[in-house]
Amino acid sequence: MATTLNVMRHAFHAGLADYRAIFTWRSWLAGWYVRVLFQVGFFALIGERLGDDEKTSYLLIGNAMLIAGQLGVFSLNMTSAERWTGTLPLLVASPSSPVLVFSARGAYLAVDGALSALAALFVAGAIFGIDLPWPRVLAVIPVTLVIALASYGFGTFLAGVVFRFRSINSLVVVTTYVSLMAACGVNVPLSYYPEPLELLSRFLPLTNGLLAIRGVFDGSPAGEIVGNAALEMAVGFGWMTAALLSFNRLASRGRRDGSLDYGA
Amino acid sequence: MGGFLAGFRLELQVVRANPDALIPLLTAPLFAVIFLAIVRQSGRSDLEPDALMAPVLMSLWWIALVQAGSMITADRWQAVLEPLIASPTGLASVLVGRVACLMCVGLLSFFEVWLAGWLIFGVSIPFEHPLQLAMTLLATAFAMTGTAVAFAALFVMTRNAYTFINSASFPFYVLGGVLVPVAFLPDWIEPVSSVLFLSWSADLLRASLKEPAVDDFWGRLGMVLVLGAITFAIGRAVLFHVLRRMRARGELATA
Amino acid sequence: MEAVEVEEITRVFEPRRRSGTRVVALDDVSLTVPTGEIHGLLGPNGAGKTTLVKILSTVLLPTSGKARVLGHDVVAETEAVRPLIGIVFGGERGLYWRLSGRQNLEYWGALYKLSTRAAKARAQQLLERVGMVDKADERVEEYSRGMKQRLHLARGLMGDGKVLFLDEPTTGMDPLAAREFRTLIGELRDEGRTILLATHDMVEAEMVCDRVTLIDRGKVIATESPRTLGHVLSRFQRIDVEGVPRAVLDEIRAIHGVTSVTAVDGAGTRIEVDEEGATQLVLEQLVNAGATSVRTSLPSLEEVYVQLIGERGMEI
Repeated sequence: MATTLNVMRHAFHAGLADYRAIFTWRSWLAGWYVRVLFQVGFFALIGERLGDDEKTSYLLIGNAMLIAGQLGVFSLNMTSAERWTGTLPLLVASPSSPVLVFSARGAYLAVDGALSALAALFVAGAIFGIDLPWPRVLAVIPVTLVIALASYGFGTFLAGVVFRFRSINSLVVVTTYVSLMAACGVNVPLSYYPEPLELLSRFLPLTNGLLAIRGVFDGSPAGEIVGNAALEMAVGFGWMTAALLSFNRLASRGRRDGSLDYGA
Repeated sequence: MGGFLAGFRLELQVVRANPDALIPLLTAPLFAVIFLAIVRQSGRSDLEPDALMAPVLMSLWWIALVQAGSMITADRWQAVLEPLIASPTGLASVLVGRVACLMCVGLLSFFEVWLAGWLIFGVSIPFEHPLQLAMTLLATAFAMTGTAVAFAALFVMTRNAYTFINSASFPFYVLGGVLVPVAFLPDWIEPVSSVLFLSWSADLLRASLKEPAVDDFWGRLGMVLVLGAITFAIGRAVLFHVLRRMRARGELATA
Repeated sequence: MEAVEVEEITRVFEPRRRSGTRVVALDDVSLTVPTGEIHGLLGPNGAGKTTLVKILSTVLLPTSGKARVLGHDVVAETEAVRPLIGIVFGGERGLYWRLSGRQNLEYWGALYKLSTRAAKARAQQLLERVGMVDKADERVEEYSRGMKQRLHLARGLMGDGKVLFLDEPTTGMDPLAAREFRTLIGELRDEGRTILLATHDMVEAEMVCDRVTLIDRGKVIATESPRTLGHVLSRFQRIDVEGVPRAVLDEIRAIHGVTSVTAVDGAGTRIEVDEEGATQLVLEQLVNAGATSVRTSLPSLEEVYVQLIGERGMEI
């Protein structure tokens, strides 16, 4: 147990160091957060256009949480899969849980995702005059983190899928998060979707977590909220496990056919 | 003319080999579906034109900002900028040619959003003012080209491309009234929005798809063209200055 | 009219940050290249060769001084200069990787104002000339280093330039390809073109060039004929040998022209000479003594410089 925590700690710091190389406070604010606020505002404004306060609230909350999902998907870019195929066999062979250790490496992305989403929610919420029911609204914080982690797991899985085709990285990242925007009940309720799509969306990150978040705002019973949050966590674990399994196969296949060579 | 054609043809070949060029063509129909779903679910079919035109503008702007914007920097990294400058043709016309090609590709999104709307939502909006719609699209593409040149020049000067791209995407979609018209934004934003050709283009595109005759069409089209031309002029000036500086400092190639 | 005239060109690079240093890449360099000459610009890395080539090809402005290509000033008359020159910078980049070799060439042809048909024809012609026809339609990213170099040369010729600037064009090429390249350069000269060849390879400079300007730390050291260079090279050779008994080494030390016989830790002995012909005598001795592990090498560029400068009593 102690070793696992130790490895996790190191993994987290490694990730954080990577991150600091890209961002300073100023560049994060000016270069990322401004974009986030405007992205959320872009959609919230539709509610204003429709003259429907409830819709404004709905869109704002949905798109703020999408940010957590978006950053998770970015993990596709920032965490090149080939790094994992190096450390993965070690992880899998170790007595600690690979899922936990693995998540620690990219945790900074999930943390940033959650932070960005929450900062967007509360600031944009204030700007648009959304009702933020204190102190209940604080419950969104842990749920947002779960969403961010689940998306990170999803992004990691995708990283393995596109590993061999690095040239389509950006393509997959952008298409994925816009698809999440379309499919996870971000802008319209799930009930609006045709049933098969609604079912599919439950297996994607963000969908269940977002339902939990909306539940917090709507005053739904705690059991329902926790249930949805737990589903989100399960989805996250599922994708992360799938990622690990696929990487394992990638690593062994790669060693056989030499496709692990980064040079290409 | 030669440089323009050389650039146009080059970009056709580059685009065919570059998957990233597909991004705006994949996001446009997705956004169309998202926006249509919102307006349909709220029972506002009258806003379907808005929902369809916004993704087109977003895609064209994204092309100008990201794809065209990074062109000079990418060429520099690829060590093809220096020989280009040393050639008799020079950068400006080649750049415009390449951007024009990208805009043509971007205009395909116009057809995509209609297709997506029709297939998924059964949207069928009659083309009320087809000629004006076409002219607005062309004028917008022209203005986008000018903007792209400006972005390409600014991009080279910028230290942090990531910051640049992020701060110039969604903020401009909002300020330019790309989906929600500027009229619905707080009053104090209006002066800012009115110098962006985007807001004029967006208003015109929406208006040309709605029944009543387009109010002051020529005046507004003129604004798109004039603002586009001004952006073009600024872009060219910045480009000239940037290239001259790079030539003086020996920065046309990376170390 | 000379092909290239360089008059007191100085190029200084100011530091971008306070902590940086001011670099004088070229210091009062003057040089003339008559039409139809292959002129070598020889110097170690950082000597300023590339800087000079860039100034002459109009992609870099000098800090002071003047330069003319075929009578046109490279700063004030760039439009006149650019159609007349060809540039071969070489290296891994300099081409669009995702396009084929042929597509790259046709693009450059268009930039040099060739019609589509003319560009296609010339591209084909040049591909044949550099021996790249088979691979012409594959993506450049699939090419080996040597193939890229050949394509660079073809690209440099698309404009049919009267004056060609070649910057380290054979770096990374295998010896056979490098030899073909040099033959090609000779052919280009015979076609009436002027060539300025920047290189750090003395052997190459000696083999190909009509005259060689030696440059170091931004200054011109000397302009020599290749023969002089060749003499210096063959004079100051060194011989490395292993497993030779002390007695034999003593005899060698006595040979006229041998300047030193030094033991190298764990790697035998190094014999240095300073006269043409001494090498041969030494080698004969060694072979007669039954030595089999013998290696000769040329002096480095720096050592050659020191020799030349020393002989002239010049200060660097």
